[in-house]
Amino acid sequence: MQNKKIRAIGAGVLAAVWLCLTGFAWFSQPKASSDAERRPLEQMPQLSVDTVLDGSFMKDFESYSLDQFPLRDSFRQVKSLFHYYGLQQKDNNDIYLADGYAAKLEYPLNQTSVDYAVSRFQRLYEKYLLDSGCKVYMAAVPDKGYYLAEENGYLAMDYEAMFAAFRQALPWAQWIDLTDSLDTGCYYRTDTHWRQEKLLGAAGKLCQAMGVTPPAAEDYTQTAIERPFYGVYYGQAALPMEPETMYIMESQLLSGCKVTVEMAKKTQVYDMEQLGSKDLYDVFLSGSKSFVTIENPNAQTDRELVIFRDSFGSSIAPLLVQGYKTVTLVDIRYINMETLSMLMDFHGQDVLLLYSTLVLNNSSTIK
Amino acid sequence: MLFSSIPFLFYFLPAVILTYFLVPRQLKNGVLLLASLFFYGWGEPRYLILMVFSIAMFYGCGLAIAKCSQKKWKRFWLVVSVVVSVTMLGIFKYADFFVSSFNAVTGLSVPMLRLALPIGISFYTFQCLSYTIDVYRGNVPAQKNPISFGAYVALFPQLIAGPIVRYVDVARELESRTHSWDNVAVGLRRFLVGLGKKILIADNFALLMKLFRESGEQSVLFYWMYAIAFTLNIYFDFSGYSDMAIGLGRVFGFHFIENFNYPYLSKSIGEFWRRWHMSLGSWFRDYIYIPLGGNRVSKWRWVLNTFAVWMLTGLWHGAAWNFVLWGVMFGVLLLVEKWVPALQKLPVLLRRAYVLLLVVISFVLFNAESISQAGSDLAAMFGFGGLPLVTAETVYYLKSYIVLFLVGIVGATPVVRDLARKLENTTVGAVLEPVLMIGILLVCTGYLVDGSFSPFLYFRF
Repeated sequence: MQNKKIRAIGAGVLAAVWLCLTGFAWFSQPKASSDAERRPLEQMPQLSVDTVLDGSFMKDFESYSLDQFPLRDSFRQVKSLFHYYGLQQKDNNDIYLADGYAAKLEYPLNQTSVDYAVSRFQRLYEKYLLDSGCKVYMAAVPDKGYYLAEENGYLAMDYEAMFAAFRQALPWAQWIDLTDSLDTGCYYRTDTHWRQEKLLGAAGKLCQAMGVTPPAAEDYTQTAIERPFYGVYYGQAALPMEPETMYIMESQLLSGCKVTVEMAKKTQVYDMEQLGSKDLYDVFLSGSKSFVTIENPNAQTDRELVIFRDSFGSSIAPLLVQGYKTVTLVDIRYINMETLSMLMDFHGQDVLLLYSTLVLNNSSTIK
Repeated sequence: MLFSSIPFLFYFLPAVILTYFLVPRQLKNGVLLLASLFFYGWGEPRYLILMVFSIAMFYGCGLAIAKCSQKKWKRFWLVVSVVVSVTMLGIFKYADFFVSSFNAVTGLSVPMLRLALPIGISFYTFQCLSYTIDVYRGNVPAQKNPISFGAYVALFPQLIAGPIVRYVDVARELESRTHSWDNVAVGLRRFLVGLGKKILIADNFALLMKLFRESGEQSVLFYWMYAIAFTLNIYFDFSGYSDMAIGLGRVFGFHFIENFNYPYLSKSIGEFWRRWHMSLGSWFRDYIYIPLGGNRVSKWRWVLNTFAVWMLTGLWHGAAWNFVLWGVMFGVLLLVEKWVPALQKLPVLLRRAYVLLLVVISFVLFNAESISQAGSDLAAMFGFGGLPLVTAETVYYLKSYIVLFLVGIVGATPVVRDLARKLENTTVGAVLEPVLMIGILLVCTGYLVDGSFSPFLYFRF
């Protein structure tokens, strides 16, 4: 009898939980966007005869109900915890945790992607650099997996084969190996990117190879950004992780630099307008932009640097500025390489191809 | 609409249950019919008309069979219902299969219809056929109330993926059934068990199968992992759906037949089919195999009957040659078991092992895109694919999925059920049960919100 009573109470509690969630799902105010996932959330679709008959209302309502579900982030976390710890899955949505770092499984080496990247860089060289007198360098930024995956039992792509492929296919570019100037601590725990305050070694190595003054630690002040940084893996992994503190490396030299974004916006090296952006990493040179120039009026030299880059370039470029009068950053994922001559010409600058292994292994975005 | 979806769990189902229990008894079937049509129309608004036509056609034929006094007219209306429904199945499900096979044989290029398959057409057509046949046989009186009949045909708990509930089994409950808090509690518990089987186990195996197909580093071991993963995936997917259907039926006062009884413990292929998708097996036995004469005919006629039934079973599962071959394979295996009685004298462990091995192989054939893919999958499993025995990727996914495999293997045996029964009358059991059910609800909701689309495998049938 006692057990029957307990059972009835239990069933009542189950029904109450179900009904509460139902009530919240029906009546809570829809949110515009998700901070953890850095994307806008679906809104209630339009109901009409046409949208019902073609099934789009139902399809969109499914997306709406998923996106606007009450306590969405907490539920995603419940799933991740069960998946990761209950089922002992080694990764969740391809994100794994090792040594307190969240990293993405990047496996296997995508030879087609490497070949495509090689072909685009070769095209760049033939169209602009061949007879320009430019000195060309290339460096690959290893993703976190380079340091974390293998030793923690995760799948790791053959990085050495990737580097060898670029060295061999692009003999006109001097290869700069960054792997020994970085380690796990150089990356954010919750994000793909590297930490600017840990890049003096890598920047120094690039400067040394290109024959310019390397950055000196004493010239910089490390300043913390107040807003907590939730990296891209924070949302994707949905595992309990602490937000991080982002630091920027300020100096007198950088304060005097003028930055022009996509030939229009005038700003600073650290664009504080981006503090409200979904991705705090946009503070570095205004984030993912196709064409950015940094003018250094205090330069002791007339040398110029052109960096073909992805988002990793935004945070390291300020540490290369001291050796150049101008640094131009070009992201050929957002601008068609064929039209580049309308924006700039090549006349003996240093040219650095600086790409992360993540982009090189998924290079279809390069135009 | 999928059972394992947020719109179903937190919009449709609570609204229907509340409405159902608020309206007076005489309106309950009407609520079920309207809710079921809404449920069906949500996924297939254009095919609602097909559903309404099926209800009207079988309702009319049932009444006509019951009203005619002459046998020939009864038979006429039965034939009408069979021909119309088989034609509908033929047009919507099999036409392109026959046309493409015809084109392949003749070298012609007859255009295909390319019609979308109406969801659950195989299930509700078979249910309706059982109705007119049983009325014709005099096993059950015709249903005079079109609302009650419509509620039976379209009943959303089992509308799209079974079990195939025969009219005779629910005729009494359509008229009068008991509603109680106990029924609701037991039904919701069964529903949540099924939801957990589908989302937490079957869908995770589906993820491994997807990773296998996308992998560029397959190995012999990876092929076996894939084959076993699919064997467990289809069991937990389909039996999970059946649990949900049976549980929902119970909430509304219906007692649907069981559809699975731990089939992977079978000691023969015959026993496997008495434990797997039992509602389909018994349907074919009662409405095809026995009317053809069953085993009370000459040896060769019996062989022919067996092949006909198993070819149809294969075809029921899908309009493709690998399904036909899958059905024929079971036909052959059943004949072998009849003709080689020594098989039944093998040690139990060996018999279970051979059944499992054949079932795993059969599901590789079942899940292949084509016969040639099935051939290459099976060749790779047995070391003829020129693949390494194991790769780094295989080891990684084996480590990652080992717990799920253990959960799946244990869950396919009665161990959990027996444990639950032992705890049933204890205080620990009484406390644990709701905690576990709430846990399943929350974790499943987490999986859904995190969100990959996961259609039920048996929707395509």
